[in-house]
Amino acid sequence: MTITRRDVLLGATATAALVPLAARAQTSEVVIGVIYPFSGGSAQQGVDAQKAYETALEVINKDTDFDLPLAKGEGLPGLGGAKIRLVFADHQADPQKGRAEAERLITQEKVCAIIGTYQSAVAVTVSQICERYQVPFVSADNSSPSLHRRGLKYYFRAAPHDEMYSAAMFDFFDAMKKKGTKIETLSLFHEDTIFGTDSGNAQAKIAGERAYKIVTDIKYRANSPSLSAEVQQLKSANADVLMPSSYTTDGILLVKTMAELGYKPNAIVAQDAGFSEKALYDAVGDKLEGVISRGTFSLDLAQKRPMVGKINEMFKTRSGKDFNDLTSRQFMGLIILADAISRAKSTDGEKIRDALAATDIPGEQTIMPWKRVKFDEMGQNNDADPVLLQYVGGKFVTIFPPQAAIAEAIWPMK
Amino acid sequence: MDKDFAARRRRDLIIAAVLAAIAALTPLFVKDVVVQNILILTLMYAGLSQSWNILSGYCGQISLGHALYFGLGAYTTELLFTKFGVLPWFGMLAGGVVSALIAMGLGYPFFRLRGHYFVIATIVIAEIGLLLFHNWEWAGAAMGITIPIRGDSWLKFQFLRTKLPYFYFALALCCLAWFVTWWLENSKWGFWWRAVKDNPDAAESLGVDVFNSKMGAAAVSAFLVAVGGSFYAQFVSYIDPESVMGFQFSLLMALPAVLGGIGTLWGPVLGAAILIPLTELTRFKLGGSGRGVDLIVYGTLIVLISLALPRGLLSLFSRPKKTGAAR
Amino acid sequence: MTAQAIIQSLASGLLMGLLYGLIAVGLALIFGLMDVTNFAHGEFLMIAMYLSFFLFAFFAIDPLLSAPLVAAALFVFGAVIYLLIVRFAMRAKANAGMVQIFTTFGLAIVMRGLAQFFFTPDYRSIPQSWLGGKTISIAGIFLPEPQLVGALVSIAAFAGLYVFIHRTDFGRAIEATREDPGAVALVGIDKNRVFAFGWGLGAALVGLAGAIMASFFYIYPDVGASFALIAYVTVALGGFGSVFGAFAGGIIVGLVEATTALVLPPSLKSVGIYAVYLLVVFIRPRGLFGSI
Repeated sequence: MTITRRDVLLGATATAALVPLAARAQTSEVVIGVIYPFSGGSAQQGVDAQKAYETALEVINKDTDFDLPLAKGEGLPGLGGAKIRLVFADHQADPQKGRAEAERLITQEKVCAIIGTYQSAVAVTVSQICERYQVPFVSADNSSPSLHRRGLKYYFRAAPHDEMYSAAMFDFFDAMKKKGTKIETLSLFHEDTIFGTDSGNAQAKIAGERAYKIVTDIKYRANSPSLSAEVQQLKSANADVLMPSSYTTDGILLVKTMAELGYKPNAIVAQDAGFSEKALYDAVGDKLEGVISRGTFSLDLAQKRPMVGKINEMFKTRSGKDFNDLTSRQFMGLIILADAISRAKSTDGEKIRDALAATDIPGEQTIMPWKRVKFDEMGQNNDADPVLLQYVGGKFVTIFPPQAAIAEAIWPMK
Repeated sequence: MDKDFAARRRRDLIIAAVLAAIAALTPLFVKDVVVQNILILTLMYAGLSQSWNILSGYCGQISLGHALYFGLGAYTTELLFTKFGVLPWFGMLAGGVVSALIAMGLGYPFFRLRGHYFVIATIVIAEIGLLLFHNWEWAGAAMGITIPIRGDSWLKFQFLRTKLPYFYFALALCCLAWFVTWWLENSKWGFWWRAVKDNPDAAESLGVDVFNSKMGAAAVSAFLVAVGGSFYAQFVSYIDPESVMGFQFSLLMALPAVLGGIGTLWGPVLGAAILIPLTELTRFKLGGSGRGVDLIVYGTLIVLISLALPRGLLSLFSRPKKTGAAR
Repeated sequence: MTAQAIIQSLASGLLMGLLYGLIAVGLALIFGLMDVTNFAHGEFLMIAMYLSFFLFAFFAIDPLLSAPLVAAALFVFGAVIYLLIVRFAMRAKANAGMVQIFTTFGLAIVMRGLAQFFFTPDYRSIPQSWLGGKTISIAGIFLPEPQLVGALVSIAAFAGLYVFIHRTDFGRAIEATREDPGAVALVGIDKNRVFAFGWGLGAALVGLAGAIMASFFYIYPDVGASFALIAYVTVALGGFGSVFGAFAGGIIVGLVEATTALVLPPSLKSVGIYAVYLLVVFIRPRGLFGSI
């Protein structure tokens, strides 16, 4: 540590001597910890996340002309052009390991903030550790609503949570009903994890408030070898809308089993997750013409905001995939965090926290269809409007809300 | 022979006391919380594996379902604490008692089974426990239980940044499990277990109460593992079914003993001292790559050690001179 | 719940059960032959599924056509694993059971790591195949073709295995080796060759199952884990050492799974399988048809 610090000082002195007017770097490097599953069943999500963060890093550290915070110029202007370095850590979907990795990143790698984590259960322990060490935690892609309600000072989430997503779905149903579409009964289908349970609970609650009838509410074991029995029950219930909350593996099996058992629902409105993954559409896309999924991201935005398309291309060259709901949130999370660090003009946890709390980025300066980025006292951004996307002709088009929509919903699905 | 045995036992006790004293002093030199974290996990798994060893090593009843007792300990403690305000110290005892009772209840049908039938039955019963907790709304189901943190408190056994209390508790647990094993080795039960393991039919005909001695081993083993589960819940301050009752805990309790030397006094400690730092370090160094290198390294080591040293790493230290009682 | 829904559930359960039997039979064979439980069995299945996938992706060979190829490749793989690793695990003079469990368990971790390293952790699947997505409907009962073919292959494999063990010289050699490895050496049978063949055959059978499954299941490095425990329970339920037991065990597991999901929340359907296993071994400690 002392050596690097001295090197930095020597370097800075030398530069200062040569170019007296150059801004002196107090810190040449800002380290941010990134905690994801890099092995085990959800390793692919970690690998994709890594690509999304590296794309964001390129935008921040290099000079690009996007209308995003920090895009122009190199590095963080508030810290004399300091570059960001990311340290990746593997939590293997285990809350204890996530906790240990967070502590290691904070104390050994000296990260000034942490971003993560995909699994909500791990976000619980990582955010606790961050709170104890007063280091900000940006929950880039966790959608469990319980996370921001724990009174943590250092927790921030720019993206919507499942209650906001589910509310958008029911807003959409209400709008469709006004147009005369028959939507009365719903089938919920969710996995038995935090994500699935939270999503199912949120949907059941709103359905009750708005007088929709839930005819079946199926909780299934994630990564089951067979979903025949579950699909059989969905088929006999035959609700107007099927609402799955499933990851890629179960999503693929669900759609295949539905086709095999001759169940063709009127409409599917999915809680994202697997239903925004390329792998799922590669596998069963032909059976999903007209499926609707919630999301926070839509490539349609590229028509209005050309930079969205360009940044998506940057990501695509790295990963071979388009941005999806997860990777776009990860990209945006790091931009928002880096912007706060730059404004804090410091790598001190408390100052970054205050800068994050003061964040106010207009929606146009993001790659998302959000109104703006501004955190409430619990660290949640309530202006992150979800969108509903429909899979039509091999790609997603935005169908809701009306201000973001570029097409009418096709109902029923084919 | 008896004299040799007594001398060895005395020597073991002295070595243990010296090691424990050295371990107790390490926090004076090791201030890094990451290293402390590894030490705590190592001590905890040493203790857990030592407890597992009582039933599976000494008594020969291979269980790959001890995650059940680990999870029961964690859940009993935290349900009592969050729902009824019972301090974790009492919850810990309660968890141990609940687990011991369940272990004995299961013992009735289970101990009739042999070999792989028994092993699979233990895996299956832990899976049933996991699924039930996954679907039990009152116990938090998949959401798990977050332990409210109010600040450093010995009474509630929670500490914000310092790891020393956890370290000393893990050390105490490890010493307790070791001492119980040491003490049992020379007890009536210890002799019975060795007889049961060698040849259950012959043991029975010699008047050994096979069934009750197995029950005793199961109860002691489950009690200690449950205390470890309570500790883990307090240490991590968040539990969900997967993270305290998953199959990986059953394996992580068995592995140190197997690698160090199953059915021996020092095997679990030695195995944990090597295995746990190794897994943590491979994850630190290789885990962030997303390419599975850490799994390859970890798996290869397990294969090589199992093949090269079937008696465990401890056999590297054993002296050629025969010490009678040592099998 | 209509009668039709119940019949549909049972039919699906039966088809799935026959497939479980096919996945498990390799395990039963290896165990019966040399008293070794292969804890990497699920990973063998994973390798077979990847093989099918790559044969499809690179050479456009339909999984049904490539099934014999995959089975042959797995045969070689199984035999090599025996000769390189398991053979040495069986030589252990102490703690033989534990050494075997943890050697194959370590092997499973290595195989998962290697799959992640070489194939990436991405989810794969075969979108279009002769069988995939097709289904036969009889009086409103749907029988998906991949599972139907899987069930037929499973029945054929069990029949073939029965004939092989009881009617061929090599099969008798296997039986004899199993009963008394020492004595067969005296009559000139090389124990290692028989065991290597047994491992090859066991792996080939799970390879067959993997090839069938590739046309309707997703594929990723951890896919074996979902099936491994079911395979162990299937074998133990039927009774170790009995190939027929694995067949019966598979059917029972499939039917129990389907019926449990009718009465309990589906997230608890495995509990039904586990409870039936415990019930059976409490009454018959050696499984339904076990000899060991």
